[in-house]
Amino acid sequence: MGIRQLGERLITVAKTKREARLAAAREALAAQRRAEARRKRLRNAGIAVGTVLVVVAVLVVVKLTASPAKSTPTTSAAADVVQKVTTVPAATFDTVGKGTVSNPPVPISGQPALTADGKPLVLYVGGEFCPYCAAERWALVSALSRFGTFANLKQAASSPTDVFPNTQTLSFFGSSYTSDLISFQGVEAEDVDQKPLQQLTPEQQANFTKYDAPPYTSSDARGSFPFVNFGNIALQIGASYDPTVLAGKSGTDIAAALHDPNSAIAKGAIGSANAFTAAICAMTGNKPADVCNSPGVAAYAGKYGG
Amino acid sequence: MAEAVRGRAARAPAGRAVPAWVPAVTLVLAVAGLAVSIYLTYEHFTGSTTLACSDNGVINCLKVTTSAQSKVLGIPVAVLGLVYFVAMIPLCLPVAWRDPRPLVARARLVASVVGVGFVLYLLYAELFEIGNICLWCTVVHVITVALFGVIVFAGALSDPDDV
Repeated sequence: MGIRQLGERLITVAKTKREARLAAAREALAAQRRAEARRKRLRNAGIAVGTVLVVVAVLVVVKLTASPAKSTPTTSAAADVVQKVTTVPAATFDTVGKGTVSNPPVPISGQPALTADGKPLVLYVGGEFCPYCAAERWALVSALSRFGTFANLKQAASSPTDVFPNTQTLSFFGSSYTSDLISFQGVEAEDVDQKPLQQLTPEQQANFTKYDAPPYTSSDARGSFPFVNFGNIALQIGASYDPTVLAGKSGTDIAAALHDPNSAIAKGAIGSANAFTAAICAMTGNKPADVCNSPGVAAYAGKYGG
Repeated sequence: MAEAVRGRAARAPAGRAVPAWVPAVTLVLAVAGLAVSIYLTYEHFTGSTTLACSDNGVINCLKVTTSAQSKVLGIPVAVLGLVYFVAMIPLCLPVAWRDPRPLVARARLVASVVGVGFVLYLLYAELFEIGNICLWCTVVHVITVALFGVIVFAGALSDPDDV
């Protein structure tokens, strides 16, 4: 090997070594960049998941440190609300018919007539806290207003801590009802906080104990609210329609919706009112005729033996 | 070494490889979520009469599942949960994790973000609008958040250059 060849070989080896070092440096740099990118991606992922967990924690902490839900106090009913509930047009009743009623009053037979003041009696027992009672009162007041007149109705809301919380409604507490055809006794046994409100008379208690129990309802539902006895002819125990339709609505909204036969509220409450009316007509011997023979009530023809 | 790594990893979309445990964990979570959603949907349409849950105190499944917030645009939330997990299962199958199309990865990530966003809304509704917690719903919420976490970290752990 000549000196020239040796020199060329040394140069080649030097070049190869330098290229190898450069390649190694490039690879190290790329690996460093990949590691950095991976750390950045992991940090972003951690931020995303951490944000979700922080939001969850904040929601829970705010809830735990917030003051407890307050019950809505019972007040005198607004005049426009009472006016609307008690004057639902006959055409609305007739258009709704059965509506979306899922649990109408159940007829019973062979029982002694339930009366008060010489007239057939409708007995209601419920509680202001009770969301199902809240739903039923709209229907009951609408129906009873076809036979008589209410005074001093109250406006209330169901319990904020029960199902269907804060369902806006009326209350029979402190109210009165007059009719030539029937008597009505509305007992709100407990207030919105489930504290005792009205005491049942011995007669009311006896009726409630007998009929809000098997075989008229399940043993699980014994003594449950609402309980409505239509003259010992038919019993309404529990809600007759889905209270969900009332969720988030004010008393004014609900009262207005009762006049709209296409509203979900009217289909539930006015449909129920037609069923209640049919049961009451069976108590009054189909009086008044214009009410008892109306198409909306006829939807329940024969169900209650009227 | 690279071959060995590839042998233990599922191929994620856009040429990324995710740790081998990711497809299995996400699939198990999605199937578990679907199972609970089926149960809640069944209970929704049968009046929640057999819902195995306390109905007293803060824990009250019945109150939550019958609340106004139990429907969104008229669709029961339980059904939305069912649809969500039905959609997530194919996105979490090993074959989907190996799918090289970026669309699949994006769909999986977007779905998990939508899911966790909905969970936060439902948690807010339970705590502040309904005032009660539904245990079965909470199980679904935990699964959804876990699914979101795994999908997000899987994306972070995968190496774009490890093709």
